[in-house]
Amino acid sequence: MHYVLMVGMAAATLLAFLVPDADQFQKPELARIFFFHFPSALICSVFIFLSGWFGFWLLRTRDMKWDVRNAASVEMGALYGVFTMATGILFSEVQWGTWWQWDPRQTSFLLVLAIFGAGIAIRGAFSDERRRATISAAYSVASLLPSLFLIFVFPRLPHIEQMSFHPSQTVTGGLLDGWYRVGVLSVGFMLAWLTVIVYRMRVRVGELEFQREQFDGSLEAVGGGAAPHRVVRAVSVSEERRDTPQEV
Amino acid sequence: MSLTGIISVVLTASNLGRKFGSRWVFRHVAFEVGLGDVLVVLGRNGSGKSTLLRLLSGLLSPSEGSVGRPRGAHHRVLGYVGLDLALYPNLTAREHLEIASELRGVPPRAETLLERVGLSAAADRLTGEYSTGMRARLKLALAIQPEPAILLLDEPTASLDDAGREIVRSVIDEQTGRGCVIIATNDAHDRRYATHELTIDG
Amino acid sequence: MAEIWTVFRKEWRGEMRSRHGIFTAGLFSLLAVVAIAFASYGQKPSGTILAGMLCITLLFASVMALPRTFLVEDEQGTFDLLRLISEPQPVFVGKTLYNLTQMLVTGFVLAILLIGFAGLQVTVVWLYILALVAECMALAGAVSLCGALAIGAANRWILAAVLSVPLLLPQVAMGVGAFRAALGEGTIAGGTQNVLGLLGFGVAALALGPVLAASVWKTE
Repeated sequence: MHYVLMVGMAAATLLAFLVPDADQFQKPELARIFFFHFPSALICSVFIFLSGWFGFWLLRTRDMKWDVRNAASVEMGALYGVFTMATGILFSEVQWGTWWQWDPRQTSFLLVLAIFGAGIAIRGAFSDERRRATISAAYSVASLLPSLFLIFVFPRLPHIEQMSFHPSQTVTGGLLDGWYRVGVLSVGFMLAWLTVIVYRMRVRVGELEFQREQFDGSLEAVGGGAAPHRVVRAVSVSEERRDTPQEV
Repeated sequence: MSLTGIISVVLTASNLGRKFGSRWVFRHVAFEVGLGDVLVVLGRNGSGKSTLLRLLSGLLSPSEGSVGRPRGAHHRVLGYVGLDLALYPNLTAREHLEIASELRGVPPRAETLLERVGLSAAADRLTGEYSTGMRARLKLALAIQPEPAILLLDEPTASLDDAGREIVRSVIDEQTGRGCVIIATNDAHDRRYATHELTIDG
Repeated sequence: MAEIWTVFRKEWRGEMRSRHGIFTAGLFSLLAVVAIAFASYGQKPSGTILAGMLCITLLFASVMALPRTFLVEDEQGTFDLLRLISEPQPVFVGKTLYNLTQMLVTGFVLAILLIGFAGLQVTVVWLYILALVAECMALAGAVSLCGALAIGAANRWILAAVLSVPLLLPQVAMGVGAFRAALGEGTIAGGTQNVLGLLGFGVAALALGPVLAASVWKTE
């Protein structure tokens, strides 16, 4: 399966370079960065929802498997956020001659990245794993509303939208050139597939880490499991001994 | 395990374990405590006695296993006295009891409780001015305010004088009539209250 | 409801005895206004700039002052006592309402000082007041939630700020939109829309906060 992905990814990347140049841009050949920039932004947005969703389930069930998924979503979301930001900044320099120009979408995405950053900061701030899990989950849920605002509402506010350099209308209005539609769909599909595989690997690693932590350090025990613990039980105290101070 | 003489079980610990980081403090702790029982938890420093009491109180969540408590809001069912429990330095003893009663939804019984723990004369002083022993007495009063089914005492006599120890003794006697007591201690004198003992060796 | 009032009264009583919060909030407002007046010395900043400055000052006032109601419980070790004697929801709501009161006092002092010292000219007074109340509500709700989440963290004060600021910036953006309309730049309809957005954020934070605080502080 992974070979299919490799071949598919290579084909999609090749296709991205074979489509005709986008004439309306300053450097038409470099507009191809859009094929990677746009799907990354979409995937990042999906991880915001997933992180909130997993957070909700952790708070409901207290099952640590949701924490592993939440952590994976925050990390992957941050990764795609950085990728979106990096490709955006690069294209900004190529197209408009400046690395950063406070484009509303660029700015609001920076804040989304800051939310992911805060989500990662939480995980470093609590040593107790269950507490870390619930706090991260609560923050993921709490940050959903501001994230939605930043991604979907703020850049579309009338007085903000007119300041934007982002060619959003081209995409949302169905004005994308046919070749470009094929290109972005191909790369997007392959990127999404790759993401699913990496995400599942990350979840598996998280689950294994969690299982390892359930051992109590006696990994040398025969057969690989933890050394058996005796059960600590209460014992009753005889009547005669009660009320007579004992040496501990 | 069912202990001898239990009429009705008040508190159960099933396969209880707790770890900090990757280090387990203890695992597989199991017991049932019934009406009238006094369970004394013994163990050297660092063996996890206080951790066990915090797990039983619900202040800490177990890494594995579970705690079974009677139905009802935990702040009315449970009284807890711990060395690490702090009081508001800018509130008086009376205010502590009044606020606690309003939040718990139980009668304040402020005068009765303050007299019981010997703090009537200092009732309107800020607890920031209290000695360690006086604070321990107020914590005891707060713990027994809702007449809880479970009373958890972590080193209850550690900072108390003889009169204070006598108060603890009478509180334990009274508690056995309505529920159970669990005491974590290193003090040989506290073992005299035990109907049951549990030794954690960490 | 009675429990919420009890928590509010506890906070208020503690504040009246130490006067820590009110003193620092008052001093902060004064210093912020002096800094704004100093930075724009001899200039006449536009309504949008002043609106931005007001919102940024409110943002930092809230991030610095409000987590205290939660974090101080952690620092003095009383959080466990509070969890033993109360359900989490009234504690969160009571403390958030206290934070809102503190924020409103700071906000109004700041708003009046800005008019007096920095030459702020309000053209739509009702919108100015409404925007101030809505901004304070949104900030108090979100910062309280972040303060509640930072309890128990190793670096709790910084963490509370790190968690709050990204959540608060949308509210700052809306706040600027509302204030600049009240100061005569932009339309009143746009300003009202922003006020509604802020109120929405505030209400959402107040509704979500107790639920999240309860699930995080839950005694098992």
